[in-house]
Amino acid sequence: MTLINRRKALALMGGTVAASGLAAPALAANKKIKVGALRFTSHSGNFVGFERGYFADAGLDVEFEFFQAAQPMAVAIASGDVDYAVTAVSGGLINLAEKGAIKVIGGALSEEAGIDGQKYLISDASYQAGIKTLKDLDGKKYAITQAGSSFHYMGSKMAAAEGIELSFTPLQKVGAIIGAMKSGQVDGWSIVPHIAKPLASAGAWHMIANVSDYIPDYQVTTVFTSAKNAADERGMTESFLNGFSKGVDDYAAAMIDGTADQDEMVDLIHKYVYTDRERAKAAPSIINGTMRINKGAALNIASIKDQLSWFQSEGLVDAGISIDQLVDTSYVDIIGA
Amino acid sequence: MLAPLISCKRSMMDIRLDGIGHSYDDFEVMRDISLDISSGQIVCIVGPSGCGKSTLLRFIGGLERPKLGRVLQLGEPPAGCLNPLTYIFQDFALLPWRSVSGNISLVLEDHGIKGAAADKIIEDVLARTKLSDFAKALPKQLSGGMKQRVAIARALAVKPAVMLMDEPLSALDSQTRELLMDDLVELWTRQPFTAVYVTHNLAEAVRLGHRVVVLSRRPGKIREVVDIDKPLAAREFGDADLEKTQKYLWQLMRDEARAADAELLHG
Amino acid sequence: MDETGTSVAFRGGGFAPKSRRWVGVVVFVALVLFVEWGTRAGWISSLSLPRPSDVFETFRQLYDSGLLFKHLGPSLSRLTVGAILGASVGISVGILIGLFSYVRSGLVPLVAAIFPIPKIALLPLFVIWFGIGEGSKYALIAFGTFTPTVVATYGAVDNVDRTLIRMGQSFGLSWWSIVRKIVLPGAMPGILSGLRISLAIAIILLVAAEMLGAEYGIGAYILEAGSLYDLERLFAGVVILSLLGVLVSGVIGMAERRLLGWRT
Repeated sequence: MTLINRRKALALMGGTVAASGLAAPALAANKKIKVGALRFTSHSGNFVGFERGYFADAGLDVEFEFFQAAQPMAVAIASGDVDYAVTAVSGGLINLAEKGAIKVIGGALSEEAGIDGQKYLISDASYQAGIKTLKDLDGKKYAITQAGSSFHYMGSKMAAAEGIELSFTPLQKVGAIIGAMKSGQVDGWSIVPHIAKPLASAGAWHMIANVSDYIPDYQVTTVFTSAKNAADERGMTESFLNGFSKGVDDYAAAMIDGTADQDEMVDLIHKYVYTDRERAKAAPSIINGTMRINKGAALNIASIKDQLSWFQSEGLVDAGISIDQLVDTSYVDIIGA
Repeated sequence: MLAPLISCKRSMMDIRLDGIGHSYDDFEVMRDISLDISSGQIVCIVGPSGCGKSTLLRFIGGLERPKLGRVLQLGEPPAGCLNPLTYIFQDFALLPWRSVSGNISLVLEDHGIKGAAADKIIEDVLARTKLSDFAKALPKQLSGGMKQRVAIARALAVKPAVMLMDEPLSALDSQTRELLMDDLVELWTRQPFTAVYVTHNLAEAVRLGHRVVVLSRRPGKIREVVDIDKPLAAREFGDADLEKTQKYLWQLMRDEARAADAELLHG
Repeated sequence: MDETGTSVAFRGGGFAPKSRRWVGVVVFVALVLFVEWGTRAGWISSLSLPRPSDVFETFRQLYDSGLLFKHLGPSLSRLTVGAILGASVGISVGILIGLFSYVRSGLVPLVAAIFPIPKIALLPLFVIWFGIGEGSKYALIAFGTFTPTVVATYGAVDNVDRTLIRMGQSFGLSWWSIVRKIVLPGAMPGILSGLRISLAIAIILLVAAEMLGAEYGIGAYILEAGSLYDLERLFAGVVILSLLGVLVSGVIGMAERRLLGWRT
């Protein structure tokens, strides 16, 4: 079974067109690409890049493909159905990289001191039962979506720092975890601030600590693409990162640095995120969800190395995988090296 | 018409059908059937298909209720009788998951007869039906004729006052039928029993019946009752006088049978 | 008579497939060897299918490390408790539907209504009702096996030969005797073939049941492998489920031979 997929078939057809003498310059043409996205504020770089025409300026005709979870998005990149996407480093992502299917080419969301980041939580029921600190979570149920997810990583790093054991409880979906936390079926969790804060004020759980206290300079999400794009489509990949970075800059200027109009940015993001809520209700969540997205898609390689070695130590990925198999460092600034 | 109760002998049980009539919705299937079945006799009921022979038998056994008239038991069933009115079915109705002896013990268990007492009865009825060697066999291992003999043995085990036989030989081939008729005659000769025997086969009727009741087409009425005086043991395959009676019965029935055959089936 | 007549051409036969056990084994082995060859030669990418020998190696490691039984233990107990609960309640309800008009009229539409519900969709509800521990897992598997068992059972009761029941009545057997000695054994073939389906569904639901809050279990193992895109583990887990299915089918086959030897 050679993997002849739609894209390859298209490429073949393109080849015949090229052979007939219509060789097109790499950048100038409106090259059609697909970008995978989740409807989260952390994907704003893509949304801004598209809405403000930065991708079009770079010669790319971007079409978004929306997903419900990060995992299928990684598989879609591996199968060639999607070209670029942003997601957390997970066991699945690393294993796909090992198989030579995908590469991390840049960084996106980071934990940064001074900007509200992800929180460690304790459910209200457990809190009332006397579990007041993270150390008290020893032997308790700690919610994760799946083994090898970023939640698993965050919980494990915290447990190592506190010297405790956690009983990791896979619940597949964030919605299911929220339900389990509310009803006290699980004891602890960690999540982005715009989900953590409103439910903390509603009394569902208590915010105990910042993730950045336990994992400094945590590179939460990364930009990734298929290994083939990274190796053979240099022009297209650079164009994408270019458009994405401009989008990130606008986002940071409006939402973090205060040098551009925040309302206008919220309007733009609201087109993609919390679309089922009216703007007045969506705005606080969008603003609460603000986190640092690395300028120029710079990648914190130290954090990626730490995550890789954690996955390896847990036996979730093969011990033989090197950082070079996972990351292509030739595209963006590498920090933390 | 009220029969004087004195006419029935002690510990003998007769059956009286008193003005039986029946209909499904507006569709009359049976009208004013009155008949006495006296103990020790085999009464054959014949008639064209659809005349309600089998329904009549279900009335007698209490499996169905007639719209009109009554079925009366006259007198008491004999001592030791477990199930006064006992059926023998056309398709044998043996439990396929029970052995021959298991099928017989089935009808004893509910009367609290178990263990040695049951074994004794089973042994006896199997000997009478010549099945002693097949006590452990499953129905699927038996031929049709043997299955019906098991059913007869089962019926004998409950010492019935009246046997209600619903086309018992119809599912068998003609040779087996002859053999089984001989067996039934032998059983009756050794120990006379009362039976109502429904059949569409006139040869069976003249061979086994002390009386033959001919029913007419729908609505079923008694057309004629023919008594055959020749003792059962003396009757044989191809007897000239029996042939004559059979021919007479056929003449009674022929036109009606033809009409019944040409009729559309009623749903 | 003409001596040189042509013989009549044979045109019967066929349409009577017989079981040739070894053919199945040959097809299976050939398929595995084919994939092994393809993955070694490289024209099946490691992204499309795992190498069978690697799957076997993963399985061996799973066994050697003792993890196999750590996963198998909880799964088997969930399967056993859930399936026994679902099947026994299902058989009882099915028999009641088969015997009583009011129960039938009341419950058949209800069963028809819950049959097509994907039980996985109700998992969050079960977590609220029965907790995140074993309770919700038992409930999911029990619920999934319940509906097909009910349908198979009352169908089987409906199909019990009515003349046998009339026979029982004509011999004056009590109601309870007729149910116990005629209806139940008569419905057994249908109930057992229904169980074949119900238990396969139980195995399918095992993976769903272990979606929520299961650290160990074959289903949890498969889900983890899926989220890690670890095809070797995924296939090792799937092979375990298949073997479980074959085992269950074998057990029912044995029960059928023991209980249904009377069938022609």
